[in-house]
Amino acid sequence: MTRAKLLLYAVLALGLLVVVGPFVWMLLSSFKPEAEIRAVPPTWWPHTWTLGNYRDLFSRLDFPQYFANSAIVAVLVTAGNLLFCSLLGYALAKLDFPGRKALFLAVLGMLMVPGMVTFVPQFVLISNMGLANSYAGLVLPFLAGPFGVFLMRQFLLSIPDDLIEAARVDGAGEWRIFWRVVLPLCKPALATLGILTFLASWNNFLWPLVVATTDDKYTLPVALALYSIGQNRAYYGLLLAGAVVVVVPVLIVFLALQRHFMRGIATTGLK
Amino acid sequence: MTAVLDRPAAATRGRATRARRRRAWIGWSFAAPFTLLFLVFALLPVLASLVMSLTDMRATDLRTPLAVNVVGFGNFTRLFSDELFLRSALNTIVFVAVGVPLTMVAALAAANALNSGLIRFRAVFRVGFYLPVVTSIVAIAVVWRFLLDPEAGLVNNLLGLIGVEGPAWLQNPGTSLGSIIVMAAWRNFGSLMVIFLAALQGIPAHLYEAATLDGAGRWQQLRRITMPLMRPALLFGAVITGIGYLQLFEEPLVMTQGGPLSSTLSVSYHIYNQFGFGNYGYAAAASYVLFVAIVALSVLQFRLLGSRDD
Amino acid sequence: MRRVLAVGVAAALALTACGRDAGDSGETAEAVGAGKATGEVTVWAMGTEGEKLAEFAKGFTAENPDAKVTVTAVPWDSAQQKISSAIAARQTPDVSMIGTTLQGEFAKTGALDPTPAGLFAQDSFFPGAWDTTVVDGTSYGVPWYVETRGIYYRTDLAAKAGFPHGPKTWDDLSAMAAAMRSKAGAKWGISLQPGKTGSWQSILPFGWSNGAQIATADGYTFDTPQLAEALRYYQSFFTGKLAPTDLPQGALEPAFVRGEIGAFMSGPWHVGILNEQGGKDFASKYTVAPMPSKQSSTSFIGGSNIAVFKDANNRDAAWKFLAWLSKPDVQVRWYQTVADLPAVRSAWSDPALSGDPILQVFGEQLKSAKAPPAFPTWSQVAAAFDVQAEKVCVAGADPAAALKAVQNQASSIGTGS
Repeated sequence: MTRAKLLLYAVLALGLLVVVGPFVWMLLSSFKPEAEIRAVPPTWWPHTWTLGNYRDLFSRLDFPQYFANSAIVAVLVTAGNLLFCSLLGYALAKLDFPGRKALFLAVLGMLMVPGMVTFVPQFVLISNMGLANSYAGLVLPFLAGPFGVFLMRQFLLSIPDDLIEAARVDGAGEWRIFWRVVLPLCKPALATLGILTFLASWNNFLWPLVVATTDDKYTLPVALALYSIGQNRAYYGLLLAGAVVVVVPVLIVFLALQRHFMRGIATTGLK
Repeated sequence: MTAVLDRPAAATRGRATRARRRRAWIGWSFAAPFTLLFLVFALLPVLASLVMSLTDMRATDLRTPLAVNVVGFGNFTRLFSDELFLRSALNTIVFVAVGVPLTMVAALAAANALNSGLIRFRAVFRVGFYLPVVTSIVAIAVVWRFLLDPEAGLVNNLLGLIGVEGPAWLQNPGTSLGSIIVMAAWRNFGSLMVIFLAALQGIPAHLYEAATLDGAGRWQQLRRITMPLMRPALLFGAVITGIGYLQLFEEPLVMTQGGPLSSTLSVSYHIYNQFGFGNYGYAAAASYVLFVAIVALSVLQFRLLGSRDD
Repeated sequence: MRRVLAVGVAAALALTACGRDAGDSGETAEAVGAGKATGEVTVWAMGTEGEKLAEFAKGFTAENPDAKVTVTAVPWDSAQQKISSAIAARQTPDVSMIGTTLQGEFAKTGALDPTPAGLFAQDSFFPGAWDTTVVDGTSYGVPWYVETRGIYYRTDLAAKAGFPHGPKTWDDLSAMAAAMRSKAGAKWGISLQPGKTGSWQSILPFGWSNGAQIATADGYTFDTPQLAEALRYYQSFFTGKLAPTDLPQGALEPAFVRGEIGAFMSGPWHVGILNEQGGKDFASKYTVAPMPSKQSSTSFIGGSNIAVFKDANNRDAAWKFLAWLSKPDVQVRWYQTVADLPAVRSAWSDPALSGDPILQVFGEQLKSAKAPPAFPTWSQVAAAFDVQAEKVCVAGADPAAALKAVQNQASSIGTGS
């Protein structure tokens, strides 16, 4: 190994320590008793190992329920985005119809609208539809994300028209072409969009907080906030254990799909 | 497109009209599901809040939303004499001006390092650097509050090892915004790194080989080959990060509550507070100012980084 | 798209035609039926209360077998956002816990049900607590629990500093804080909140003790010599380096246990935290003094009210649940469950409370403690106050000028009624 390479590894390893170190510390500290977490100077390796934080977490509130809610919402939102965004992305990239340009501009413009603009009217809308405190209310406003359309359109632009034309000449209907020819080619882009959407939904806090009016519809981040800075005190052990529980599932999803994800980024043609 | 224009006009007009109708029908049948959801859950709320921004609507009017006064642009003029709003605007500008380049440089450095012929452990580094991106802000906040604690925190204890007494990072108005910027760069550089890495890998290797034969040094290769070919990815990264950073909200919410001395109060946070106080019209107006700023920044970035022929 | 635009414009035009009604104040409440409660009562409660109330409410269902209480815990930080969104969308539960300082805002939306006459005896509650439920002359809901502030101090350090019986007056408090540093070896004489969210709860008691009035029926009055003097006094602890300005959250208690901080101002919940962090012998090392007096010793009364929403599905049972929570023996049991201090005065004669000297200090303080005005804009004005207070404490701004700035903002925000 050359000296330059060694140096490169050293720099990268240092960077990795800075980025991943906090997570390792979080994981280790979630097994410490409350007093040790707050000790000065801080400990790295737990002096006393305890599962108490996790036991408390699961006994004090209905964490399995919140976990299930988070998963249901994230899966539905992801599935919806994959379907609707690829449909529109295909139409914008490969079909010619009146209003196409205006529609694309409207979607693109929406990318720049801050979330604060729509928050209150969206909630009033969902409530007037009778959907507060329902999975539909948690999912519907996120089914049609502008970013997904943008991503799918960019990817589909890079697919040669010949493939589609050839299928048309063979007499395939438009829907058949979409399902049988176009979608299979989109796998990398779908993986990328899927992961990004799943993450955003899983970690969303403000919307489920407001829409869920009873705690059987709470998602994990909302439940975790119950233990963050309360009126007068915070429960550090519970918070750390909760943070681990929130992070681990998305980490698993990400690790499982990361190869496709990276390939999707590479081939989305962000140009 | 061309097919339509090439057709001989008179004889096939009927057929052309029918074909056009068919194309419209097919196009919209693909576009309809998204568009319907988009109209109801995105455009409608956007318009509703635009109307709201022209009124003096408060939370206390919620049960009778039509019984409010129209104040026209009164909310907007009031904004620009609101000391806290101006302070939050300044903080946000500093955050974007420092944070976006910092994040991009960190991402570029990481992408370059991972692309430089190193094969082993690349996936490990890539996943490691991406870890903060996948993590909930609630979890990140917990960890960082501990790290930056002036006495119990790891950062100051490490500094103590080399004899430096670190400040109370988040409680000192001189260091609070800087800490938030570093934290945001730490949290977000991974997603840009992935994009930049993909772009780097898309540059054909023979370009570098040819340049080496011509005697071009590493620096020249970076300037003449890498940067120009990376420009679309850089533009995309700058725009996406700019849009995100202008809406800075979660970091100060969970780390500093906008303090100390309003040094980390961002525009989005100010808007959130105004919603909390029940000043709905005023908050909606402020959110439209933010929207205009986002559009302006994106246009500026396209001007600076975009190529002329796009 | 054009159609949607048209709808938006039509709505805008409709708005110009409407305009605001001149609000009429004073509401009368419907009576609540006799007999036992039936059906489901949905309740929102924050923090520990939200967590423990469901189990506790079984006492209510034992007395009312056909009723059921469903409790949802709500994060404290986001409670205001959540309740106001729920009001906007008419998605409220039957009952919610409401922090006393938000009462004015929520009552003014018209979403809260006025307290029915005859169900509660007003004079059984602490007067300062009952006042927080009253908006424009009508009471909405009842006080659930109360809290107030006193001075926690290390008895061992105070004895070394020459104040074995604690501080009695403003001069005492200054001298004790200084001597804790010079004679008793503490790093900081006292910890006071240096501005930031909620610091008005620490500062206003000094103002009230100095005879200041922060509001009349017509509006806010921050720009007074009494309050300026109090704020200058409060500032003196920071300019004299007796109190820290950059203490992170969670650092106070360990430092107090180690003797690095000699005293601090806080409410009753700190007893539990200190005993937990200090170990079992620590309870003998500290006690609580009432607010040091100037013209009087007047503290802040806070805590939470509990109210019924107009949109409640089960109004009758909801009020019966509140009536049950307000019974003296239930209030004592609630204290034993989560250490919330009873808002009902007669509960304080129960041995569970009367036997505890620290609680007696808080109990005495509560009799005269004051609350900020229940104006709908209070939380916003309080935030403006906190911003200015931080400038005074941390950046050394002039107290009188800061109060003028608060008054300017308060005047432009208005009372909202």
